Amino acid sequence: MIEIKNVHKFYGAIQVLKGCTTTVSKGEVVVVCGPSGSGKSTLIKTVNGLEPFQAGDIVLDGISLKDPKTDLPKLRVRAGMVFQNFELFPHLRVIDNLCLAQEKALGRTRAEAEAKGRQLIERVGLSAHIDKFPGQLSGGQQQRVAIARALAMDPIVMLFDEPTSALDPEMVTEVLDVMVELAKSGMTMMVVTHEMGFARKVADRVIFMDRGEIVEDARKEDFFGKPRSERAQMFLSKILQH
Amino acid sequence: MFASFDFDVIWRTLPYLFLEGMRFTLMLTVLATVGGVILGTLLALMRLSGIKALSWIAAGYSNILRSLPLVLVIFWFYFLIPYIGQWITGASRPMAVGAFTSALVTFTLFEAAYFSEIMRAGIQSIPRGQQSAGYALGLTYWQNMRYVVLPQAFRNMLPVLLTQTIILFQDTSLVYVLSITDFLGAASKVAQRDGRLVEMYLFAAVVYFAISFALSRLVKRLQARTAIAR
Repeated sequence: MIEIKNVHKFYGAIQVLKGCTTTVSKGEVVVVCGPSGSGKSTLIKTVNGLEPFQAGDIVLDGISLKDPKTDLPKLRVRAGMVFQNFELFPHLRVIDNLCLAQEKALGRTRAEAEAKGRQLIERVGLSAHIDKFPGQLSGGQQQRVAIARALAMDPIVMLFDEPTSALDPEMVTEVLDVMVELAKSGMTMMVVTHEMGFARKVADRVIFMDRGEIVEDARKEDFFGKPRSERAQMFLSKILQH
Repeated sequence: MFASFDFDVIWRTLPYLFLEGMRFTLMLTVLATVGGVILGTLLALMRLSGIKALSWIAAGYSNILRSLPLVLVIFWFYFLIPYIGQWITGASRPMAVGAFTSALVTFTLFEAAYFSEIMRAGIQSIPRGQQSAGYALGLTYWQNMRYVVLPQAFRNMLPVLLTQTIILFQDTSLVYVLSITDFLGAASKVAQRDGRLVEMYLFAAVVYFAISFALSRLVKRLQARTAIAR
C-alpha cells in the first residue's frame, strides 16, 4: 500500500532523511517513534507529497510520487492526514469543515457530503457539535473532528502526525479511543506518536527513527520485547520509566 | 464673527454637491477599492508564489507605485492612457478616455500596490499548517486559496483594508488636478462662482471629517467582532 524506497531529503545542506526504506501493507498499523528531530514527522509528510524529497521514491497505492505526471491533489485524497495542531478551518463550521473537500476535490453534492459528514461526526461522538465553529470545541474534540474530516474522503490509508502531542493529558484518551476503534475496523494506518500504550495495543509493527535513519523496523512483540539497537533500547527506557 | 458669512449657499447648492460631487467621490472610492483589492490580492499571490519571475514583477510593481506621489501618477495616466489605448487597439488616433475612466484606472492600479502589501501580510498571517491541511485533503492550489486561505486572510485584514479605503476616500479629492467634479471639486466650483470660499471649504471639511470618522468608528467595531476564535 505504501512503499518507501531509499528516500533522502535535505533542507539546504542538512540531511533530514538518510535513505529511509520501509513498507506498510493493507490493513497494517505501523507506529513510527523516535526522539524529536529524528525525521519521523518529515517522513510521514513525504508519504502524501506535503514534503518533497530529493532522492528515492515513494509508491502510494501503486502510484509513484516521483513521477512528474502524478496528479498530487488526486493522489492525496487517498491518504487521509491528521496533524499535530488539528488544522481545522477556523472560519468554517464543523459540518462545513467536513464537506468542503468532499465537494471540491471529490465532486460530491452537498447532500451526499453532508450525509457522509453527519455519519462520521456521529462515529467520533460529536453529533451535538456539528454546527459549532472549531474555536468553540476543546482540543480533543477538534482532533476528533479532524479525524472525521480525513475519513470523509474515504481514504485507503490514514497518516497521523503526532495526533496527541498538542493535547492536554485528559484529552489524549478520547482521541486514542477513536484511533484504536479505527485500527480495529481494519484501516491501514501510519502513526507518528510517543504513545507507547497505543502502540502496544494496536500496532502490528514499530519503526524507530533516529537522526534521519530508520534504526529499527520490527514486529511489535520484538520491539517491546528486545529491541536490537542500543539507541532504541535507550529511547524505550527513557519514555517507559514513568 | 459669522455675521458676514452666508451659510445659505450650502443649502442652495446641496443637491449639486451631493448628487454630482459626492456621487462621483463615492463611486470612485468603491470601484477603486473593489478593483484594487482584487488586483492587490493577485499581486500578493504572485509575490508569495515562490516563482521568482512572478514575485519579482509583483514586488517591482508595488515598490514603484508606492514610491511615486499620487498626483504625479494621476497626471501621468491621464495623459498616457489615450496613447496606451491607441497602441493596444491599433487605432490611428489616441483613444478618447473619459476623466472618470482615467481616474478609476489610476486609483485602481495605485491602490492595488497598497492592497497587495496588506493582503500579503494577511496571507502570511495564516499558519502554514492550514495550507498543508487543505492540500492533504486533495484541494488544488487555487481551491486552497479560494476556500481556506483567502477567506481567513480577508477577515484578519478587514480593519486594515477599510482603513486604507478611508485614506482612498480622502485621496480621491486629488482628481481636482484633472478638473473633475468630485465632492471637493463641486464645493470648490461653487465657492469660486459665488465668492463663498470660507463657507464652502469649511463645509467640505466637515463632510469629509464626518464620513471618515464614522467609517473609522465602524472599523473599530469590526475589529472587535471579526477576530476569529482559534
